[in-house]
Amino acid sequence: MSFRTIDVDALDEEQLAQEELFVYSDGIEIDPQEALNNVQTKSIEVRNLLTKNNPENALITAINDPPYGLNTTAAKELNAKIVMEVLNSIKATDILPLIKKLSIEQQDILMKYIYRGMAFSGKASDKPKTGASPPPPEPFNSAVLLNWHEKLTEIAGVGCIVRVITDRKTV
Amino acid sequence: MSQTEIRQFNFGPITTHAFNKDRTQVAICPNNNEVQIHQRTAGGWSLIHTLVEHDKLVTSIDWAVESNQIVTCSQDRNAYVWNFDQTNGKWKPTLVLLRFNRAATFVRWSPNETKFAVASGARCIAVCYFDEVNDWWNSKHLKKPIRSTVLSLDWHSNNILLAAGCADFKARVFSAYIKGVDQRPAPTPWGDKLPFNTVCGEFSNGGGGWIHSVAFLPSGDALAITGHDSQITIIYPGQESYAIKTNNLPFLSLLWVNENQLIAAGYDCVPILFERQNDQSWEFSKILDASSKKKNINESSTAFNRFRDLDARGISSRSGSDETELKTIHQNTITSLRPYNGTPGDISHFSSSGLDGRLVIWNFQSLESQFKGLKV
Repeated sequence: MSFRTIDVDALDEEQLAQEELFVYSDGIEIDPQEALNNVQTKSIEVRNLLTKNNPENALITAINDPPYGLNTTAAKELNAKIVMEVLNSIKATDILPLIKKLSIEQQDILMKYIYRGMAFSGKASDKPKTGASPPPPEPFNSAVLLNWHEKLTEIAGVGCIVRVITDRKTV
Repeated sequence: MSQTEIRQFNFGPITTHAFNKDRTQVAICPNNNEVQIHQRTAGGWSLIHTLVEHDKLVTSIDWAVESNQIVTCSQDRNAYVWNFDQTNGKWKPTLVLLRFNRAATFVRWSPNETKFAVASGARCIAVCYFDEVNDWWNSKHLKKPIRSTVLSLDWHSNNILLAAGCADFKARVFSAYIKGVDQRPAPTPWGDKLPFNTVCGEFSNGGGGWIHSVAFLPSGDALAITGHDSQITIIYPGQESYAIKTNNLPFLSLLWVNENQLIAAGYDCVPILFERQNDQSWEFSKILDASSKKKNINESSTAFNRFRDLDARGISSRSGSDETELKTIHQNTITSLRPYNGTPGDISHFSSSGLDGRLVIWNFQSLESQFKGLKV
């Protein structure tokens, strides 16, 4: 049965590569360093908005213009971290009205970050210890993400989830 | 006929279906290598012919209503054109030279029935035409720049342009002009010089997802595409395109009712209507399945249902059939929408079939009036 493990498509000259399926918004790949710089500027802006107690604009700024691309891993990581910070800082009761204010495109991007967060959360060492004092807010908190996911699905429907799964522009 | 007509043809899926001209016969594929032709009778439908020539799953059927020819294609990489032989009352197959090395996935006759196009997994589309000299159906391949399996096709009303939805996340509009078969076409918004294999447009839905269905506007001046991203994009060549991001599961089939109304159906098991608002944007209008809104109707008769199921299907549902039954008419994904009555651009009835083995004929006009008061 070992023949079943042979990658027959590799011999195909017209094989379709992953890069060819990626849809660039303006046809060009962004430079990874430039993407990282953009996200760093963005993170300062978001922190300022959070300290000014403006979570709505902080969220919109954080999810706006994500560093899409095939080689922008560092920028993506930093951006995801910022979004998680914002999500953690918003009170559970404020989630629904906030989501309603977002456009469909923004809702889709937010859902992408929620799925990214869930993919990277749940490491045993990350879990907050139960004690007398409430655990400090930490990024990639699944409980928070699930709460956001529930509310977002309520508004944007399953279509939003399907778009996140199919979209090659990952965050 | 005023109501929605439902017919369970198969307990497994109906892969595809196509009606004849006066809608008295329907060709369906019961998810195997056969094509069944059913005749409408006083009491319902009866099986009159079974066409067996393919040796793998039949993927698509199209009935040329004027010339009364059926074309079928299959995963066995072949297509057959079937002609009805009056003398012995049987359908006679003719093999088409497709020259595919992968499965054929989709087939459609061109509007004037001189050609048909077959899509395939071999990254190409065969445009087939009748070769009088050799007395067979010959084909020409549309290859570039297709990068993956072609999943759906639609002909422009001018018999030349062909739209293709592809698994490489793109929809394309090609010229399928065959010298000697076609007249020189009039200019369209898609272009005016159209030798064979001209790519008149290549469209992406923005992110990704296979393009499941493509459909030209009846006038041919726009193209609707839908993919696995639950989004419908309506493209006006050289102008703005409209993307409708829906809350629903993805759609598998599109059908234009007229220039301003589009029906889509797929994994949500219901046909959904989209409308153009004030000649501007396109928006979700309504779900065209009244029963999807009703609550359990037969709650009191679960015992009856249980015995009926025992009798009809030989299975006993544990707690009444309501629990496993959807409230929609289709009980599973709708895979195909076809016009049933009316002219292109003014459809009054349409038919749908899907994985539940049901063929449903919908009266669009009566559904429209039924919902009129409910419009939000």
